[in-house]
Parts: sequence; C-alpha cells; structure tokens
Amino acid sequence: MIEQLKNIWERRELLYYMVRFQMKAEKKNKVLGFVWSFLDPLLLMLTYIVLVSYIFGRGGPQFPVLLFTALISWRWFTNSLRRSVNSVTSKVGLIQSVRFPLVILPLSGIIIGFFDWLFGFAILVPMLFIFKASFTVNVLWLPVLLLIQIIGTIGACLIAAVWGTYLSDLSNIIQFAIRICFYLTPIIWAVEERIPERLIHLYMLLNPFAGLLESYKNVLIRGVPPSEYAIVGVALSCVVFVVGLWYFSRDEHKLVKAI
Amino acid sequence: MIEVDDLGIRFKMEKRRRSGALSFLLERSQNRQRSPREFWALRHVSFTVERGDTVGVIGRNGSGKSTLLRVIAGVYPPDEGKVSIGGEVSTLFSLGAGFQTELSGRDNIYLNGIMVGLTKDRIEELLDVIIEFAELGDFIDMPVRTYSSGMRARLGFAIAMHSDKDIVLIDEIMGAGDVAFRQKAEAEMSRIIGERTVILVSHNMSAIEQFANKAIWFDKGVIAGMGEPKKVVEQYLAASKVKKPPPDKEDWAVA
Repeated sequence: MIEQLKNIWERRELLYYMVRFQMKAEKKNKVLGFVWSFLDPLLLMLTYIVLVSYIFGRGGPQFPVLLFTALISWRWFTNSLRRSVNSVTSKVGLIQSVRFPLVILPLSGIIIGFFDWLFGFAILVPMLFIFKASFTVNVLWLPVLLLIQIIGTIGACLIAAVWGTYLSDLSNIIQFAIRICFYLTPIIWAVEERIPERLIHLYMLLNPFAGLLESYKNVLIRGVPPSEYAIVGVALSCVVFVVGLWYFSRDEHKLVKAI
Repeated sequence: MIEVDDLGIRFKMEKRRRSGALSFLLERSQNRQRSPREFWALRHVSFTVERGDTVGVIGRNGSGKSTLLRVIAGVYPPDEGKVSIGGEVSTLFSLGAGFQTELSGRDNIYLNGIMVGLTKDRIEELLDVIIEFAELGDFIDMPVRTYSSGMRARLGFAIAMHSDKDIVLIDEIMGAGDVAFRQKAEAEMSRIIGERTVILVSHNMSAIEQFANKAIWFDKGVIAGMGEPKKVVEQYLAASKVKKPPPDKEDWAVA
C-alpha cells in the first residue's frame, strides 16, 4: 500500500499530463469550452434558487450563497465518483498498450473535479461579498476541510473504480444513490429548519456529509469554526481512504484482465 | 535480455464481461454453482531473447501472440511462471489501439512519451523526428479519430520506432501503409536490426523471414515451433495448409 503511494509520487508527471490531456479532450468539442466549468454550477444554483426561494418560498436571505457553498463541494465529490466508475473501462486501449499505475485513472477524475470546484469557488467569492458573509479567521479552516474531503473522496473513488470495472450497472446505481443522498443532505435545505431538534444529533452523526458541508458554510459564511460533526467526516474519510487504497492495490492486476 | 520461463496467462471466460448487478449477486449467493470457465491464453511458454534479436511471432488469430506482447509490455503479470525483462519496453500499438482518439496526433506522441517515462526534453527532441517519419502532414494536429487506419498504423509505428526503448514491440502493423511508406518502414526495420531488440508479430511471412533472426510459432497458447524463421514459417504454413505465395518484393498483401 505504501508502494502505491510511492508509485503515484514517482509517476506524478504522468498524472499531471493525464489530467491536462483529459481536460483538453473534454472541452475540445464544446463551443464554450471551459466556460462550462463556470456555467454548470451557476445554472444549477439558479435552478434551485427558483425552486426553493420562489416556488417554495423558503431558504432565507442568504440562501443562494449557502446553497452554492454546499453545492460546489458536493459536486466535487459526486463528479469524482461518476468519473471514477468508468475510469478504467474507458481507457481499455491505453491500459492494454503500456504499463502504468492504474490508480492514476480515478485520481485524475478527482483532480479534474477539484478544478471544477476551484472554478465554482471563483464565483463563490464575489457572492460572499454580495450576501454579506462574515469573514473571520475561521476561513483558514477551509484547506483543512478540503483535505478531509479529498482523502475520503479518493477512498470512495478507488472502490468505485474497481466495482465499476466489474459492474456496468454501477453507474446507474450511483446516479440514483447520489440523487437520494443529495436530498437527504442539507444542501437545498437547512438543518435547523427541517430536522426535529431531538433528532439533529443523530442525523449529524449518521450523515458524514452533513457535518462537512455545515462546516464549509460555517467557516465561509457564518464566520464560526467548523461543525463538531465534521469529526465524523474525518474518521470516515480516513477509514474509507485506507480501505480504498488497499482494495484497489489488491485488485489492480485483475482489472486489466476484466476489461 | 528477455527470459520467459513456463509462462501461463489465464483468463476467466464470462458470457458478459461485466455481469448485471442482479446476476452478480445471484451468482454470489449460489456460491459459485456456476464457476466461470477459464482458459489459458498462454501455457508453458518458455523462450529466451538475446539483446539485438529480432523475434518473429506467428500464429493464427487468437493463438496468444498479442497476449504475449502484452506480457512483455508489462500489462499482464504472469499467472504461472516467470518473465524477466532486462530493459525498457516500448508501447504496444496494436493496429492503433492505445491512442486517445480525441487528442491530436501530436498530443498522443507527447502522452505516449510520458507514459513510457521519457523526460519532457527528450520528448521534444523526438517529436519532430516522429512527426516527419509518420508523414501525416497537417493531420498531426487533428484528433486521431479523424485518421484512417493506415494513418494510425503509421503513427504507431513511428512512435514505437523512435521511443528510445531497448525493446520494441510491433503488432501487425507492417502491412499497413502504401508502398512508399512500406519501403520506409522496411528501411527503418533494417536499420535497427541488431541495434535494438524487436518482437515482431505479423501475418506477413515475407516480413518475418526478411527481418527476424528467430521465430516462434504459437498455436492455441502454446509454442508449436521455434527456431530459424524460414523453417518455422514452413512448419506453420504446412500446418495451415496454405501454399506459400512466390516471394515477390512488391506483393506485401495484407493477410
């Protein structure tokens, strides 16, 4: 397992070029190209604003910025996952032509997802000003939260990459599971509003994303430290990371034959 | 240079490469009542390749030739036996597979260089040589998906030949390209014979006899003949009951 990490470090240049070429290939055919990296989250946010603020009449004055903060982080996770499921099967030709550490395939999906997050963040910053977010020293927690998220994401994506190679149904299942989890997670709604008080503690313990997303909102908008429930996210991220890394390392050589 | 000792590569034969989720779970719960059949793509394969050899690999389709190349490329670890490779191996371009078709030829050359571990500077140096050799003109900056199969083969061959690797793997691409390119390919092959180690898989018996100093004939995953190219080719053709066409330099018909 440590081997894997060393391997990745040694081939980091390959990872860099994989990411670069993948991003290049994806925006090649699109007229708007990389503009979509901004438009995607923006349009999504607008959709939900119309739905929640206007149609349902809820959300409160800071809704757009609270929504957007949670949205871009959530999207990073789900897009990484979606890419990872097909990451191996989409590169059959390459895998059968030259030897390289396959872990680079799901990893490049995660990194591309992070760039999308950065684009979203670029839009978030002016929004923080517009909606009068509290800017305190707690903002410095942001890199920590990102680190927690990336560790957990890597673990989940490595597992998804293995399963996705064996099961083509996985992408359908994941689509569905993501949708359900999206509605169960405080992205388009607020915890205090929708969850009965006596159940909040239980809910926050059970949903690892809840703690993490609330923490993003805390440090960027509310000006307070991350939610204590982020600890759940930390613990789970580390476990998933170790499991994912071990699982992928173990099955990597079987993957080449499964395609 | 390359030592292959009792090599075996096994595949599980599943009707569907990836079973649907339901049947996947069902099979699990039934505790492997239907254990998947397996087949050995290669079995008990042993041979040695010295530095500078050009080894011709022949055999019918499905006999294990491409599998062998992949083993040497490091793509498949042995399920049985051992493989020792004393040098760096080039990328295996099987009829153009291995290209990222959305990217341009130029980008693919670059990507390939990175994948086999060349430094950026070295890739820059080789870029022009490869582009010139492949003779793709302006197409070099077009996505590979716009290329004809001949163009892909030329690009693959150009990259394989100029990638600075000790061991060059060539799979079925000697037959591609027009007469002018074939002459160029021929010249290039003659140039590197002895200098580098080449594993050449081809259905073109003339090419095998012309370039290889050793030949191996694979039949259903095992070695059916090995040794001097002319002899091995004869054995193979006899077994296939095909009359050898008269040697004709102009006639490199694709088998």
